[in-house]
Amino acid sequence: MSIAPEIRYRFMKDIGAPLVMGMAGLKGKRKAAIKRDVPLGPPLKCSKRLKEIMTRHYFLSRYAEGARPVAWVTSGAPVELLRAFDFYTVYPENHGALCGAQKLGPELCSIAEGHGYNQDLCSYARIDIGVCLSGKTPVGRLPRPDILFASNNICQTVMYWYRVLAHHWKIPLMVFDTPFNFVSLDRSAITYMVRQFEEMIPELERISGRKFSEKKFKEVLRLGKSSAMAWGEVLATMKTVPSPMTIFDAFVHLAPIVSLRGLPVTLEYYNVLLSELKDRVSKGIGAIVNERKRLMWDNIAIWYKIRDFSRLFAERGMNFVTATYTNAWAETISYMDERNPMESLAKAYSLVILNNNLDHRLKLMERLIKEYQVDGLVIHSARSCKPYSVGQYDLKRLLMERLAVPSVVIEADITDFRAYSEEQTTTRLEAFFENIEDGG
Amino acid sequence: MHLDLETRTRKDYIREQKSLHGRKVMGVFPAQYPRELLLAMNILPVEIWDPPLRTREASAHLQSYICSVVSLGLELILQGKCSDLDAFLFPHTCDSIQNLASIVNDYLGIHKPCYFFYHPKAPYKRASRPYYISQLKELKSGLEKQFGELRETDLKRSVDRWEEIRKDISKCYLLRSEGRLNTSNRAFYSILRRVEYLHPDDFHPLLTNFLQSGRTETERQGHGVLLSGVLPNPPEVLDHLDAIGVRVVDDDLLSCSRRFLSGPVSNSDPYEAMAETYFSLPPCSTRGSAIEERLNHILKKIRSSRADGVIFLIVKFCEPEFFDVPILADSLKKEGIPVLVLENEINQALSGQIVTRIEAFAEMLG
Repeated sequence: MSIAPEIRYRFMKDIGAPLVMGMAGLKGKRKAAIKRDVPLGPPLKCSKRLKEIMTRHYFLSRYAEGARPVAWVTSGAPVELLRAFDFYTVYPENHGALCGAQKLGPELCSIAEGHGYNQDLCSYARIDIGVCLSGKTPVGRLPRPDILFASNNICQTVMYWYRVLAHHWKIPLMVFDTPFNFVSLDRSAITYMVRQFEEMIPELERISGRKFSEKKFKEVLRLGKSSAMAWGEVLATMKTVPSPMTIFDAFVHLAPIVSLRGLPVTLEYYNVLLSELKDRVSKGIGAIVNERKRLMWDNIAIWYKIRDFSRLFAERGMNFVTATYTNAWAETISYMDERNPMESLAKAYSLVILNNNLDHRLKLMERLIKEYQVDGLVIHSARSCKPYSVGQYDLKRLLMERLAVPSVVIEADITDFRAYSEEQTTTRLEAFFENIEDGG
Repeated sequence: MHLDLETRTRKDYIREQKSLHGRKVMGVFPAQYPRELLLAMNILPVEIWDPPLRTREASAHLQSYICSVVSLGLELILQGKCSDLDAFLFPHTCDSIQNLASIVNDYLGIHKPCYFFYHPKAPYKRASRPYYISQLKELKSGLEKQFGELRETDLKRSVDRWEEIRKDISKCYLLRSEGRLNTSNRAFYSILRRVEYLHPDDFHPLLTNFLQSGRTETERQGHGVLLSGVLPNPPEVLDHLDAIGVRVVDDDLLSCSRRFLSGPVSNSDPYEAMAETYFSLPPCSTRGSAIEERLNHILKKIRSSRADGVIFLIVKFCEPEFFDVPILADSLKKEGIPVLVLENEINQALSGQIVTRIEAFAEMLG
């Protein structure tokens, strides 16, 4: 790494970023003062802090090139290993969600489609390919990566997508291959994953130009585990009636555990959020004004509909209090053990919901429904995400049979609203609302 | 015997295998699996790629954006057409097959054992090979519980046998690429795809007979194309290419060359030999190969077969192929190689539009 980018990065980190964060905070304040949604409870105070953190992250990423080794990483990859080498990490899925929330999905997807990428492909991937091909992004600029780090524990799609990126950027693709847990996780799979980590270390030393420090690695693991546990506690506050937060809040507040896992700022942030939520619980403050029905969400968010759905359900006194998606970053963290770092990392990352059999998912959903006192389930059948969506029709049927929980399937996409039909969704939701009001 | 095979249905053949030879039959989903292991245990693998059905019941379980290979495979099960099968095997090929495996195993209550085979994904590491061998051994242990003990000598014999068959498949490919195999496009794939359900006792003689009777010293004339994609489907594409005098000289199809044309096996240990086969297979989107590697492989095939163009036959909603094709097609075009990308459901009839596109493409070949 040369000196000039290093100096520029440090300057931006110490002076530029705080300035930008301050401005983002002011903007947020003005918006908060103007908007007030009647069916919703008071907004979370620490949303401002979240905005600062994420703005700083994307702002600084522009200056990371040349100053820090840069990696583009899939959301389920064991980033703790990269943190030990001080990689600056960018998460194309998080960036895709951000583009989706800003309703830029179709525009960026179209760029990829213009280069032959089929409209039926994952829209996170199409957005990202569109960004790579055009340089367009709402965050100003994404840094050129030195390495791509992908794990197929969330889908095989990321492997295909990252191969396209590797071809585009002409850089190495490092893959953490996690055997699918069809029945149970066996010893040979654990050994295979641990050996992959061992092989990655010299390669990461070469790419980053930094030596592996076990001490630092363990510290990152400790931070990562503490952050994920804090995130789990944040979600657990939603067991309270009324829930102090909605799942739409959780979709947004998920960003640090996805993108900044293993960094001190994440733990610090979730402790602040947790304390605010506990305060709300103690005062009986709900996220919506009149919580009459409690719902569960399945699959990734429909990013461009978060605000609309938030109001739509709140107006009917319905609050989403749990989701398989948000739970995924807390579910397996108990496996993490810094005394046995590699093996525990392998277990924590390979046993996540999307790398696990559907019987596991059914049992998990049954547990969440009971623990969070769920009255109904909204299933997002996401065109972009086959491992999440294939099996949902049977899940719907089985949950009805076992727990008599009414549910509805919304056919949509995570960011590409061309695959969303307002009319069809409204019709389905109206039927669901009637069903749930009739007690299922 | 061969004429008999022409007329017998797959169902009749399976029943005969069970009654006459006491074989067990396993329904195998695409794509890559250790057939040698199954055959050594007297289990006949019957592959489920493109059953000739219409989707009826599967749509209650699968979304409309799931590919027809997966939906028709499930349809076959739901319509009760798998009653003769003793078990299913699901190799880990893509997200949709992965979840289909779990739907069948966990949700449908079909009361048939389901086996799963995970193979490591590229880029391969030192850890990949020992893991692949451990997977072979675990599959073997699982199968033994249902089908009885596997003798190492039987496995060795089965590995050697498949190696012989594989060599003859390679010969077919070589002769075809040199223009010295007198066969139609349709006949070539019709013979080759019998490997999906015939026992080696029946398939190998059929193949050698095809090789001997088709070998010619007179080079075939006309334009040649390379087929890429998943399956040589719909077969009417092959008929149409035959009709307009365009011969398929080689392929990069997942169901064909990408899982048959591995390097020679040198290891005497059967598990090592099976690993050698797997790790020497051509680059493939479903096994995580770099796109550059696949591109170079296709270019090499184009040069050796003197193909004039490439046709990508893409199954609608097939993610692994959808991601590779834009770069492959673009790079080939930059090399001056004409490319045609066709997207279709596997059992969908050939539309007039596709016929026109094929004809226009053939004209481009010169």
